[in-house]
Amino acid sequence: MVHESESALGGGTVADLEVRGIAKRFGPVVAIERVDIDVQRGEFVAVMGPSGCGKTTLLRIIAGLERADEGTLLLRGDDISDVPVHKRSTRLIWQDYSLFPFLNVRKNIEFGLTLKRHDKKAVRSKVEAVAEQVHLGHLLSRRIGQLSGGEKQRVAIARALVTEPEILLLDEPLSSLDAHLRIKVQSELTVLQRELGISFIYVTHNQSEAFAMADRVVVMNKGVVEQVGRPAQIYNRPASHFVAEFVGANNIFEGRVAETAEGTVVVDCSHGAVRIAGHRNEIERGAAVELVVQADKLRRRHDGEDGQNTIRAVLKGREFTGSQVIYYLETAQGVEVKMVLQEPFTEGEGTEINTEMELCWAPEDTVILGHRDAGLP
Amino acid sequence: MGRVNVYLRENGYRIAGRVYLFLGFIFLLLPIAFLVLFSFQENVYSSLPLQGWSLKWYDKLIDDGVLFDALLNSLYVSPVAATCASIIGFLAAYALNRFVFPGRILTATILILPILIPPLILGVSMLGLLSRLGLHGELYSIILAHTLLLTAPAMAIIQLRLAQMPPTLEEAAWDLGASELQTVWRVVLPWALPGIVGGWLLAFTFSFDEFIIAWFVSGFDQTLPVAVYSVMIASHDTSLNAIGTIVFGLLLLTLLGAELLIIPLFMRRRAR
Amino acid sequence: MTDDSVIPPSNRSLLKPAFLAPPIGYYLIFFIAPLAFLIVLGFWIVRDYQIVAEFSVGNYVDIFSQFFSRSRFGWALIQSIYVAVTTSVFAVIFCYLLAMGIVFCVPERYQRLFLVLAILPFWSSYILRLFAWQLILAQKGVLNYVLGELGLDDPLIITNTQIGTRIGLIHYLSPILIIILYVTLINVNRNLIEAARELGATRLQAFWRVIVPLSRLGLVFAFGFGVIVSFGDVLSGLLVGGGVGQSWLGSYPLYSNMVMADYNSYTNLPRTAAMATIMVVIMVVMLVVAYRMADRARQRQG
Repeated sequence: MVHESESALGGGTVADLEVRGIAKRFGPVVAIERVDIDVQRGEFVAVMGPSGCGKTTLLRIIAGLERADEGTLLLRGDDISDVPVHKRSTRLIWQDYSLFPFLNVRKNIEFGLTLKRHDKKAVRSKVEAVAEQVHLGHLLSRRIGQLSGGEKQRVAIARALVTEPEILLLDEPLSSLDAHLRIKVQSELTVLQRELGISFIYVTHNQSEAFAMADRVVVMNKGVVEQVGRPAQIYNRPASHFVAEFVGANNIFEGRVAETAEGTVVVDCSHGAVRIAGHRNEIERGAAVELVVQADKLRRRHDGEDGQNTIRAVLKGREFTGSQVIYYLETAQGVEVKMVLQEPFTEGEGTEINTEMELCWAPEDTVILGHRDAGLP
Repeated sequence: MGRVNVYLRENGYRIAGRVYLFLGFIFLLLPIAFLVLFSFQENVYSSLPLQGWSLKWYDKLIDDGVLFDALLNSLYVSPVAATCASIIGFLAAYALNRFVFPGRILTATILILPILIPPLILGVSMLGLLSRLGLHGELYSIILAHTLLLTAPAMAIIQLRLAQMPPTLEEAAWDLGASELQTVWRVVLPWALPGIVGGWLLAFTFSFDEFIIAWFVSGFDQTLPVAVYSVMIASHDTSLNAIGTIVFGLLLLTLLGAELLIIPLFMRRRAR
Repeated sequence: MTDDSVIPPSNRSLLKPAFLAPPIGYYLIFFIAPLAFLIVLGFWIVRDYQIVAEFSVGNYVDIFSQFFSRSRFGWALIQSIYVAVTTSVFAVIFCYLLAMGIVFCVPERYQRLFLVLAILPFWSSYILRLFAWQLILAQKGVLNYVLGELGLDDPLIITNTQIGTRIGLIHYLSPILIIILYVTLINVNRNLIEAARELGATRLQAFWRVIVPLSRLGLVFAFGFGVIVSFGDVLSGLLVGGGVGQSWLGSYPLYSNMVMADYNSYTNLPRTAAMATIMVVIMVVMLVVAYRMADRARQRQG
């Protein structure tokens, strides 16, 4: 676990939510091994990981729908671990929104306000204000069945917001929307969160959503937090093998440390030596390490370029994704290499499948993962 | 039609199938058709040939009063029993749907068991207990006994509906601050309402049609099937056709309700 | 996991006992207790027209001593089982073919209408339907009138025989069996039928080798249901079967009718309870057999 940016955003105030050593098992299955996360006031935190990594369970524990086996939850400094779900000031937005199908939009939104003694006029004006905020004003008398996916989501958000939660929890809220709607809703959500100034905890398996919206990203795997950091940090400086593989298109090379000198490390890999600049941590000679090089940092080497790391590999395939082209290559030693270019090669550059080419990247663009001697063969 | 009829696409089989359907439905609907027909006929002994249209059997029905009183008794007993059964059935269906507890499967099995036990046995044993308690021979005895018989079908129908409820619906209500009871009242009940009404209609029909339990536990105030039985074994009374027609009309209304509420529950898969 | 399938807002949900108490309480008082008392009551006696709580096997001695002789309880039991099983077989065949007709010969959008028509009889009074069957099947009834007009002078004798009993029962069972078998048939994977046909199976082969095996569970369920209902029914045997319905076994009443008649003529509740207890034992055996059959069908159907 690496928390790189806590001091940068903490600022010494009481955090909105502190997750302390939360663990959860379902019978023999460990859903969450141990998780610590701090969420600052007004922060947009994305919890990202593959399905089954425990992210949804974590969200449900925060909401109070599941009970953690161990650990405590502090909401603005108060221990809420034993507070039942209906008495917590957190609100959850479900993937399928869970609207009440037998109530219309207005009745859905006012649900949370009508559970106790209430002033009908005040409720009415509050519902209308919130509906206006999420652009639902004209749909208040609609039935749920008549709404589109995007509208349903806005009803779910309005239904939660009208109760003035301290934290909004969102469980993959975009996954049931069309692709073109998602981008729009992404920006709407970010704007809304800034306006409201309350914290969002947003669970997703989609890294582009997480990176586009979040102030900080928590990467989880198998019930453990792998890395916490700002999107750029996670992307450029993955802290573990898992993060490097899960985030973006990264090349991972295995090797042993051959030399260490002032800020520069040389690692022997199967295809040759790799120089790393700007590595700050202590590292021993002879240690087995993994190197991460982002696929979009690689390019084709031109004659006369020096001072770069190089690798020779044979082109095996390519994939045109619209905005970029992904090239799949393989070295003589059988290591796979991925290269992403914004523009495809021009014709006649000797770029047919099975041609060998030399690629290069800058020493500064190489990241050494936390070396795990035992973990490598 | 397309794919559905692949198996019987050829004419020979389809014609045979349709002829069979026609004959089968004649068998199913024939008794009702004659009941209605003879209730409007002059014939003293209900058989062919017909002797002309008449409403005299309806007059006789009202003049005699016995069957009519029994109909009124039934219209008191059956709705009350169906209501009790629907309430107990809803409680049981919800508890079985939501809670895990030791003996859950056994409980579910016992709750459904009265459907499988012949009403004759239920009737004798109910009479044994009620007479011991001094509770037999009254209309409420029938209600007490029928509630047991009807709980299982009502519960089964309500369970079908509850099983289709997304579990996140209750969670959403809790998350918004509703207590468990508020959630049952404001979310589960509205969701289950089609099932409850459907279960009630089914229970009502069962009770309205039930003979042997009512025969055992009732006294001088009889429900309609018991009264019809008494009339039938005494003599041939053509006004039975008239009461049959009235009952059919009455139950047709519940059928309409059931058709709108129960059948969709069998057609839909669990929404998730 | 905690105790509950869905985590409640409070960990110890008060709703669980609150919701379980009424049904369990009601069933304890009005289901378990009467059934238990039924068995106890069978061992009590009547003295001076009063039920006396005094243990005695007299009722059973009385019943079994004349099992195949004077009161012929044994013959009635055999008659009952024979009628129940044959009725259920005929009812299942009749309803299975009818359900097949609806599934395969009726356009999909009209199928629901046909189903509603099929369950229409269910929504009219059973006893009054039997009255109508009396009118139709009686010696001077509608059927024999029509046959006479067609030149058949010997009237068919159906009422007061077990054939009449079966007609009444099949008509009673049909709506429910049609629903069960219709649901079974629409769940048979249509692609398998097509695949069988494309592999060269004739329609009859596809029916016997694909459709019937795949509806085995529904068929067993329908059959078991039919037997249990027929065995327990009193009205059909009494009103259409004439109480002492003739069959090739002889003129023996159904056992259920004997229980009812016995109570009606003697009002000896302990004795009736003993007779009903014998019926309970047979029912339990039937349920176990039905359960075993359903289990096997489920396994073979996969």
